[in-house]
Amino acid sequence: MSDNKNSTDAPDTGHVWDDNLRELTNQPPRWWIITFYLGAVFIIGYLVLYPSIPLVNGSTKGVLGWTQMKRLQASVEELDAIRKPFEDKLKGMSAQAVLDDRELSNYVVRSAKVLFGDRCAACHGTGGAGNPGYPILADDDWLYGGNIDTIQQTITNGRTGLMPAFKDNVSEQELDDLAKHILALSQGSEHAAGKELYNSKGCFGCHGMEAKGVEMMGGANFTDTIWRFAPGTEESIKYTITNGVNAPGNDATRIAIMPVFKEQLTETEIKKLAVYVHKLGGGQ
Amino acid sequence: MASTDLEQKYNFEIVRWFSVASVIYLVVGTFVGAYAAAELAWPALNFDSPYLSFGRIRPLHTNAVIFAFGGCVLMATAFYSVQRTCGVRLWSDKMAWFTFWGWNLIIVLAVITLPLGFTQGKEYAELEWPIDILIAIVWISYTFNFIMTIATRKSSHIYVSNWFFLGMMVMITYLHVVNSLAIPVELFKSYSIFSSVQDAMIQWWWGHNAVGFYLTAGFLGIMYYFVPKQADRPIFSYRLSVLHFWSLMFGYVWLGSHHLHYTALPDWAGSLGAAISIAMIVPSWGGAVNGMLTLSGAWDKLRTDYVLRFLIISLAFYAMSTFEGPIMSIRVVNALSHYTDWTIGHVHSGALGWVGMVAAGALYHLVTRLWKTEMYSVKLVNMHFWMATIGIVIYIVAMWISGIMQALMWRDYDEFGALTYTFAESVAAMHPYYVMRFVGGFIYSLGGLVMLYNVIMTIRQAGTEPRISAEPVKA
Repeated sequence: MSDNKNSTDAPDTGHVWDDNLRELTNQPPRWWIITFYLGAVFIIGYLVLYPSIPLVNGSTKGVLGWTQMKRLQASVEELDAIRKPFEDKLKGMSAQAVLDDRELSNYVVRSAKVLFGDRCAACHGTGGAGNPGYPILADDDWLYGGNIDTIQQTITNGRTGLMPAFKDNVSEQELDDLAKHILALSQGSEHAAGKELYNSKGCFGCHGMEAKGVEMMGGANFTDTIWRFAPGTEESIKYTITNGVNAPGNDATRIAIMPVFKEQLTETEIKKLAVYVHKLGGGQ
Repeated sequence: MASTDLEQKYNFEIVRWFSVASVIYLVVGTFVGAYAAAELAWPALNFDSPYLSFGRIRPLHTNAVIFAFGGCVLMATAFYSVQRTCGVRLWSDKMAWFTFWGWNLIIVLAVITLPLGFTQGKEYAELEWPIDILIAIVWISYTFNFIMTIATRKSSHIYVSNWFFLGMMVMITYLHVVNSLAIPVELFKSYSIFSSVQDAMIQWWWGHNAVGFYLTAGFLGIMYYFVPKQADRPIFSYRLSVLHFWSLMFGYVWLGSHHLHYTALPDWAGSLGAAISIAMIVPSWGGAVNGMLTLSGAWDKLRTDYVLRFLIISLAFYAMSTFEGPIMSIRVVNALSHYTDWTIGHVHSGALGWVGMVAAGALYHLVTRLWKTEMYSVKLVNMHFWMATIGIVIYIVAMWISGIMQALMWRDYDEFGALTYTFAESVAAMHPYYVMRFVGGFIYSLGGLVMLYNVIMTIRQAGTEPRISAEPVKA
C-alpha cells in the first residue's frame, strides 16, 4: 500500500498516554476516504430509488416504485401462472373425478406432497408410513374406510375413536382370555373362552362378527397383523381393553384423535390431500 | 514508573477480578452454547426437561456470552485502560466494587430465572423487569465511574480508546432502558409498553445495537488500547479514528430495521436500515484498517507475539463480519438469508472471531501485566489460538452451507409450481451441518478451557505476594 510507506515518519499529534501510546497524523488511506464518500452517495441514491423518507401521509415512493407487497405479488403471480390451469380445473371437480384424471392427479400428488409433509407427516409419518400410536396410511387397512370420499370426509371433519374402558366389566381371567383370543385372531386361529367373551361382552358391535372391523364405527380389524396400538402383544391388548380409547373420565385411556381440518385448510387443499392419501398405496 | 508505584497509584485489583471472571464466563458461556448446539443436532439431549429445553438454554447461552463474558471483559479493560490513559486512579473504588458484585449478581439471577422460564421474550433482553432495573443501575455505576475518572484525568486530551468505551456506555444505557420499558404485572412477569411492529422495531433497534455498540464500539475501545500498547507502535491515523468513530456512532443506530425486512414494518423504515447498513462497511473497516496499519513495519512481531496474533486475527474477522452483515441487510440477499442458519453463522463470525479473539488477546496481555509474570505456558496460548481459529472456521462454514441450503430448499419449486421440499426435509438435510457446528463450537469452548487452565496456573505461579515485589517482565 503506497499510502503507508512513510507512516512511521509522519509526526504524531504531540500527545502521549500511558508512556508509549501516541497517534500519528497520517491521512487515512486514499481508497478509504474515496469509498467513505461513496457510501454517502450510495445512501442518497438508495433513498431516491426506494421508499425511504417518512412524511405526514405515508412516505416518499422512490423512483423505482418498489414496494415489498409488489415484490411479493410478483413472486406469487409467477407461481400462479403455472398453477392456474390445474387449479381452475380442480375447483369444479369431485375428488373421485380428480383421481380418474391422470394428468390432474399427477399435479395433485406433486402439489400435495409438501401439504402432507407439513400437516400430516408429523403423526402419520413420511409417505404415510405411520408412527407408533398413529395409523399407517400407505397400506390397505382402513379404520373408517379407504374410498376417496371417506378419506376426504375424514380429513374435513376429523375422527375421534371411541371404545369404552372395560376395567369394571371384565375379571382378571376374562381379560386374559379376551386378549389371548384377539392375539390368536391375528395369527389365523382363535381362543375358545375368549371367543365366548368376545360375543357376550359385545365386542362384535364395533369389531364385527368376523372380527374384521366395522368401518362405520371405526372399529379395528383383528384378523390382520396391523395394530392400531402397537405393539400387538397380550400386554398391550389388555391395556386397551382395560382403559378403552378416548374413554371419558379415564386418564389412562388410549388417545385416538384425528383433528378437524376444515377450518385450517381450503376445500381444494383437502381434496388434494384426499387424492394424495388415496394414492399412497391403499386407496379403495 | 516502577510497578510498585503503579500498583499503589491505580486500582488493579478490580481489573484482576473482572479478568478472572471473564475467563470463567468464556468457558461457561461457550459450553452452554455447545450444549444448545448439540440439542439441535440430537434433540434427545434435552431429556424432556423444561429446564434443559433449547428455548431456555439458548437465552442462557446468549446472556452468558454477551453479558457475563462480554460485560466482564469490557469492565476489566475499560477500568484498566481508563486509569492508565488518564494517569489517575479510578474515581471511586467503592463504586467499582459495586459494579463488580452488582454485575455478577445479575449473572446469577439470569442463571436462575432463564432456565425457570422467566423471560420477556425479547432477544438479548430476556431478563425480567426487576433484573432490567438492576442492569440499568449497575451499568450506570460503571459509566459514571468511567466518566468521573476521565473528568479527573491528568492527561490533556482524552485517548481514543476512551471515546469508544464512553460512546458504548452512553448508547447502551438508553438503548437498554427504552427497550426494557414494560408494565410489570408480577414479580417476574411484565408486558412491553410497545406493541406489534413498534415493539419489534424497538427490539431490533436494541438488538442490533447490542451488537453495534456493546460488541463493536466497546471492543474497538479494547483494540485501540491493546493493539498499540502490545505492538509498542503509535496509532496509524488520528484522523481515521475520528472519522470512523463518529460515523459509527451516528450510523449504527439506524440499522435495526434491516432485521425486519418483508414484515409489517413499513418499506421506508427497511430502506433506511438497508441503505445505511451498506454505507457502514467503510466506517467499520476504518477501525480494522487503523488497527492493522498500526502494525505496519512491525509485522514480524506476529511471529513471536502471541497477544498480537489474537488481536490481528480478530481484526480480520471484524473486517469480514462487517462486510458480510451489510450484504445480508440488502433486501434481495435478506430474502434468502433471513430466518436461516446463515444469520447464526454471521453472528458467530463476529462473536467468536472478533469479540472472542480480541478479548482473549487483551486478557492475556492483562494477566501478564496484572500478575507481573509471563504466561505459565506459551504453548498452551498457541494451542488456544489454533483451537479457537479452527473452531470458528468449522462453525461458520457449517452455517454458511446449512443456511444457504435451507433457504434454497424452502424456495425451490417444481414444474407444477409446487414446493419441492417439506419443512421437515429441510430440517433433516441440516443435520450433518448441525453436528459440524457443534464440533466447531465445542473445539472453541475447549480452547477457552485451555486458556482458563493457563491463566490459573499463571496466577499460581505468580505466587502469593508478587504484586509488590516482582519487576514487570516487559516495559
